Amino acid sequence: MPATDEEWARSYAVQALSDLDAREKLADTNAKKCHRLHFLQMAAEKTCKAHLVRANGHNKVRKSHAYVARNLPIIARVFYPLTNDNNQINQWELLAITRLAREIELLAPACDDGDLRRDNSEYPWEGARGEICTPCEYNFPNIDDGSRTIIRLIKLIRTAAESYSRQE
Amino acid sequence: MKKSKLETAKSLANAHFQVEPNLKRIYLIQPINDQDPNDPIKLLEVVEGTIERGIEPVSFPADPARGMEYPLMIIEISPTEYKSIRTAGKVRLRNHDWTIGEELLAR
Repeated sequence: MPATDEEWARSYAVQALSDLDAREKLADTNAKKCHRLHFLQMAAEKTCKAHLVRANGHNKVRKSHAYVARNLPIIARVFYPLTNDNNQINQWELLAITRLAREIELLAPACDDGDLRRDNSEYPWEGARGEICTPCEYNFPNIDDGSRTIIRLIKLIRTAAESYSRQE
Repeated sequence: MKKSKLETAKSLANAHFQVEPNLKRIYLIQPINDQDPNDPIKLLEVVEGTIERGIEPVSFPADPARGMEYPLMIIEISPTEYKSIRTAGKVRLRNHDWTIGEELLAR
């Protein structure tokens, strides 16, 4: 019997939690930023897919990596009050998360904004002056993964993933 | 006492208007099926500047322990996308055919 969309949703969520655990271990051991960001990107993408697969079907969501920029802010907006004593997220924080969500999506090599953004957390790319850029030697200046906002975003991603990981 | 789905939808809409400055309109997608707690509250949110991907709902399971009494589904579309579906008054997705219902306003 083929797996149901509910089973796929749970599986994406469980894997997202495992990716977040891996990111934490890497952060604790001072691993290079590209590796920390790579696991953050994977966790964010799978969390978004967990929340998309139920209504849209697994076949529609399985192939693309481009789900984070649009959907992570929606997910953050819904989960924030559930984890913050029913207080709504601040507008400035939602805007910051929207910007970060786009940057996180662009970490996937397949998402390059029409070849304008080749920087990614996995593979070397050619820079603007023809130089080779290597992820583990690059500092990813658009994402400070120690900032208060990103730490709170990671907490929201975890909460969002947990919500589907518990589903039967 | 547990709020009805319509009351919950209105509260959610109000909260979303407070935090999302680009949110222009919210519509309740019907039927609401108040007797079925497993059928999600469905909100169609028209957001200026959102990435245009058509009808692509984001689902949230109920989490009563955290105050989320009903499952929720948010369909975020751009004003241009809204114009293209407004005439039909329907939202079609897979085997569903929903009606664009009451507009929920900021209080």
